[in-house]
Amino acid sequence: MIADEATLARLMAMAQAGDRNAYAALLEACQRWLRRYYARRIGPCQLDDLVQDTLLSLHKKRSSYDPARPFLPWLAAIARYRWVDHLRKVYRADETELHEHLASDSDEPGVTARISLGRLFDQLPPPQVAAIEMVKIKGFSVAEASEASGQSQSLIKVNIHRGLKRLAALIEKA
Amino acid sequence: MSNQSDNLIAELVADLAPVRRLRPATGLSQAAIAALFAVAIAAFGYGLRPDLLSGKPDPLLPLLAGPFLLLAGAAAYGAVQMSQPQVGNRQTGWQWAAAMAALLPVSAVLAWLASLSTNIPLAIDQTGWTCSASGIALGLAVAASLTLWLRRGAPTSPERAGLLTGLASGAAGMFAYSLHCQHNDIGHIGLWHSLAVVGSAGLGRWLVPAAVRW
Repeated sequence: MIADEATLARLMAMAQAGDRNAYAALLEACQRWLRRYYARRIGPCQLDDLVQDTLLSLHKKRSSYDPARPFLPWLAAIARYRWVDHLRKVYRADETELHEHLASDSDEPGVTARISLGRLFDQLPPPQVAAIEMVKIKGFSVAEASEASGQSQSLIKVNIHRGLKRLAALIEKA
Repeated sequence: MSNQSDNLIAELVADLAPVRRLRPATGLSQAAIAALFAVAIAAFGYGLRPDLLSGKPDPLLPLLAGPFLLLAGAAAYGAVQMSQPQVGNRQTGWQWAAAMAALLPVSAVLAWLASLSTNIPLAIDQTGWTCSASGIALGLAVAASLTLWLRRGAPTSPERAGLLTGLASGAAGMFAYSLHCQHNDIGHIGLWHSLAVVGSAGLGRWLVPAAVRW
């Protein structure tokens, strides 16, 4: 069972003052909340790592919580930041390794990042997805992407701009 | 729950020590002190404008320097608030202040366009870049203060935090330099003084994120 907002806020205020029992209870509750939060966003194999990263961030940045404000929006902001950071790191690592070995077991994080981005891409129009994938992910030039997709060069640029803006808004809402 | 997570929680609990909460008022006070430092350098290093020294400031001065002060305050407030993450917490006050400050370059363009029709071209001070450079330099203390504050906090949008830091420092530096600069014409203020703010915002957006990412 996840503790209610008021209880979490009180536990965090006590933790800021150095109460270890309150902190242990808070971290347990946060762990459960984070597992549910990330379950819909990343692959199960990465869940533990991301939950632990976020708990570490919570620990390092605990002074930034203001007890006069609700706790869960603060935790959600940290969780979202770590999620976006995680996606970026995994995807970049995947891009550098992709050409070397497509069939290796170590592709799993990259594949799950692709699944996460794929879910976001599902909400974009196909021309925007095509433009972003070709230029921003596969590294095509605008001219090459234009030739491959049949979109004009200016349309490729517009679709990248609009698509990235929409992706940012989707992540903001997540 | 995994054993690893349980072990991590045990380690974090063992490592717990009381912390001082970040208070936005402290961050704003530090930025204000840095801005006062910039004003002191402008006053004692460069020297105050003659009208200020004589105690009879030009009536146009608040109109030409005031928007930079307001923009500095609004952007600094936005940057300081970003140290405390919160989903759904949007800072828009700085955008209104920036829109107001943008009236200066817009007025400069309108004055320039009007001068074209009168065959008396608006004179643009070619040495005004020294004003821009001085404004950016004077804002460095504010930039350092806000960057250090953001490093203590948890900004979840480092790029926007950098932009706001640059805006605040450029506007504060330009306000301080306005107390020295003797130009009252809209062409000079709208071009060179505004350029310092835009340049500083660009530098902040470019340089600060790496320093505040966590």
